[in-house]
Amino acid sequence: MTDNNILLKARGLSKQYGAVQALDNVDMDLRLGQVHALVGSNGAGKSTLVKILTGAVAPDSGKLLIEEHPISGNTRAMLDAGIACIYQDSQLVPALSVLDNIMLGRQPTRRFGFLDRKTQRDIVTALLAKHDLQLDLDSPVLALPPVQQKEVEIAKALSLNARIILMDEPTAALSHAEVEKLFRSIRRLREQGVAILYISHMLDEIFTIADQVTVIRDGKVRLSVPIAEISKKMLIETMLGQELSAEVRVTQKQSHASTEVALECRGLSKTGLFENINLQVHSGEIVCLTGLVGAKRSELVRAIFGVEPADRGEIFVYGEPVKIKHPLDAIRLGMGFVPEDRRRDGLFMSLSLGLNIIMAHLSSATRLGLLAQGTIRSVGNEQIADLGIVPARLDAVPRSLSGGNQQKVLLGRWLTGNTRIIILDEPTVGIDVGTKANIYALLRKLAAANKAVLIVSSDIEEVLTVADRVVVMAQGRVTGNFDQTQISQELILRAASGEVM
Amino acid sequence: MLTQDTSARAGTITIALQRFIRSYGLILILAVITFSFTIIQPAFLSLDNIIGILYQVSLVGTMAVCSTFVIITGGIDLSVGPVLAMSGLYTVFTLTANGQLLIPALLIGLLTGVVCGLLNGLAVSILRLPPIIVTLATMSIFRGVALLTGGSTLHAVSGPDSFLFIGQGKIAGLPFPIFIFAIVALIMLFLQTRTRFGLNVFAVGENEEAARLCGLPVMQTRLLVYVISGIGAAIGGLMLTSQVNTAWSTYGSGVELDVIAAIVLGGTSLAGGSGSVHRTVIGALLIGEMNNGMSMLNVSVEQQLIAKGLIIILAIAFNNKLLTWAEK
Repeated sequence: MTDNNILLKARGLSKQYGAVQALDNVDMDLRLGQVHALVGSNGAGKSTLVKILTGAVAPDSGKLLIEEHPISGNTRAMLDAGIACIYQDSQLVPALSVLDNIMLGRQPTRRFGFLDRKTQRDIVTALLAKHDLQLDLDSPVLALPPVQQKEVEIAKALSLNARIILMDEPTAALSHAEVEKLFRSIRRLREQGVAILYISHMLDEIFTIADQVTVIRDGKVRLSVPIAEISKKMLIETMLGQELSAEVRVTQKQSHASTEVALECRGLSKTGLFENINLQVHSGEIVCLTGLVGAKRSELVRAIFGVEPADRGEIFVYGEPVKIKHPLDAIRLGMGFVPEDRRRDGLFMSLSLGLNIIMAHLSSATRLGLLAQGTIRSVGNEQIADLGIVPARLDAVPRSLSGGNQQKVLLGRWLTGNTRIIILDEPTVGIDVGTKANIYALLRKLAAANKAVLIVSSDIEEVLTVADRVVVMAQGRVTGNFDQTQISQELILRAASGEVM
Repeated sequence: MLTQDTSARAGTITIALQRFIRSYGLILILAVITFSFTIIQPAFLSLDNIIGILYQVSLVGTMAVCSTFVIITGGIDLSVGPVLAMSGLYTVFTLTANGQLLIPALLIGLLTGVVCGLLNGLAVSILRLPPIIVTLATMSIFRGVALLTGGSTLHAVSGPDSFLFIGQGKIAGLPFPIFIFAIVALIMLFLQTRTRFGLNVFAVGENEEAARLCGLPVMQTRLLVYVISGIGAAIGGLMLTSQVNTAWSTYGSGVELDVIAAIVLGGTSLAGGSGSVHRTVIGALLIGEMNNGMSMLNVSVEQQLIAKGLIIILAIAFNNKLLTWAEK
């Protein structure tokens, strides 16, 4: 059967790393004007497939065909063949203008290598007009909101005459409204016949934007169907395999909240950020702090933890008024904080897991200023075993761990010692469905152990899954506070858009 | 899960080799250089010559191990040269004024290092200025103070013998500076591997924000590493003044380059977060061997300078290649 719409064919792609079969005989078709979603847990083989498509690695066997012509070779050859990739992390130069970023390395020149600014501007203007993208050419990229930065990357790909665009977690840094905007751009690309391979952990997005979905697990294609023919439940089961998906379903919600108020803010304010915040977290309760990007939720929890303390207002811990001027004050009060960007603000990438875990409770592992190696080892081993961190080696470094395991290391840091109040900022960003379920189960266990849990989350599904109570913020104010009987997606979204409930 | 286990087993040998190179790659380079010099000139490996090399590196080595923490935190200390000079001057002044009493003079010398280090540290940690700017400025300021207080004349040391012992004495045939280097290196190694402070140094250098969120004393740590570097420079000043019987306001010009070269040659990254005192010791030995070996081979001073620079670049490039492979 011939299908004239097929732009790119992958046939029998296999790739082995050491003893690991990363890809096993993978077939895939990308069609003109189609958004093709690729899903799978971390380690399923998605990134290997992307690397083969961009030419970063060569497959052990199998071939790639564009319109029936075989292609192979390095990254340059793949670009020339019309395959471009938009990575999760920005590949733009922040200080340069939109104009320069789009044409970076390929700027038209006059004699003696001087830049031909006018020709460059004409080319880019025409390109943006053709694809109906609106960007301020002279603004430096760093001044643009995240969604426009993605659009610059799309424009850059288009300027390379890309007909196949790979997008790896393109919405990771975007707010809800921005995702909608990005989707409009993607739909326009689709209308113009561009083939898009869309990689995401966000299943809702996939059901919104994708035409076709391919699931890979352990390097094999498990399923490839039009999106209309599959339910979300079935998709998750295919991604996880049989046993794991049963585990996910067990994340039942059972509140352990007691009447004891563990953490309370009264009238907390910080000029220009948030105003008059009142918030309570009970022992044994999971409170989700949600809202849109710019609601200043991170700023609030950072203030509570003493990173950038608030200007006015009071904080009470177990009923006692406290002053928290530095994270150390918060830690001494039994608080813990897992920051949003675990790589940038959380982990010590080249220090061992053992040290990463003990780092916030060094005093418990120090005698007269000397490190007690035995304590560090036993504490570390305990957390690694309890949390199921892979690899289960104290001397491993976080750099070599998957996102989910890195997050577990950070959780382990606070499960050490006498932490009673734990604050997590976007705890499951970039983490696959299986590990997410794992982390939810763990948070539930913490609550069951009478700890108070405060989670900042933008993921509405996450909020609905884990929260005993939801506090919604909009523009630095609390606009909603819902207990378990009141929680609904609609109420949360209305509060998040600024409607005071 | 299963596949990961098998791959771990398959890679065990490679991992062991990678670990070996990560820990001992430098020693390999040291061995190769030693071996090459010995082949050309067998006297290179004689006991006398080895003691000679150790003696020659003890001054820069002592200063370098004390500056290693600064580099691990991602900082740099360019001001060690004038601190060395000031420490020598004030020790001699105190000796002269105090009727040759040793202890107060040593304390004044060391205190000079503490004060200078404190000034560097305060500017870096509280004013949050880039270390290279701060110490570039204090290098000039401290040299100016040395010249202002010490003039341009040599100040002779007239005793006591106990002071001269620091640079010229011998124990069991070994020059005393070697003992100073060894003891200071051991203390620094102890601080690095056994104490909470040592761990704080790595944590701050690796990820300052994460260190803050873990409640670590980031400012104090930054402050303290510059104080230690200042003390190292002050010890260097005591050693040099005692060795040559004089103090002079221009002593130590350019010594910061040797100090940083020893640290960097040891594989401590200027970006911070990684490195080690024992690596600095090896780095200092490498430089000492090269100086000594080339002198024995009658290489002219001009050629030595060029060769030294080239070897530093090659050795670091080679070691980096090995390490990149070993860290895969």
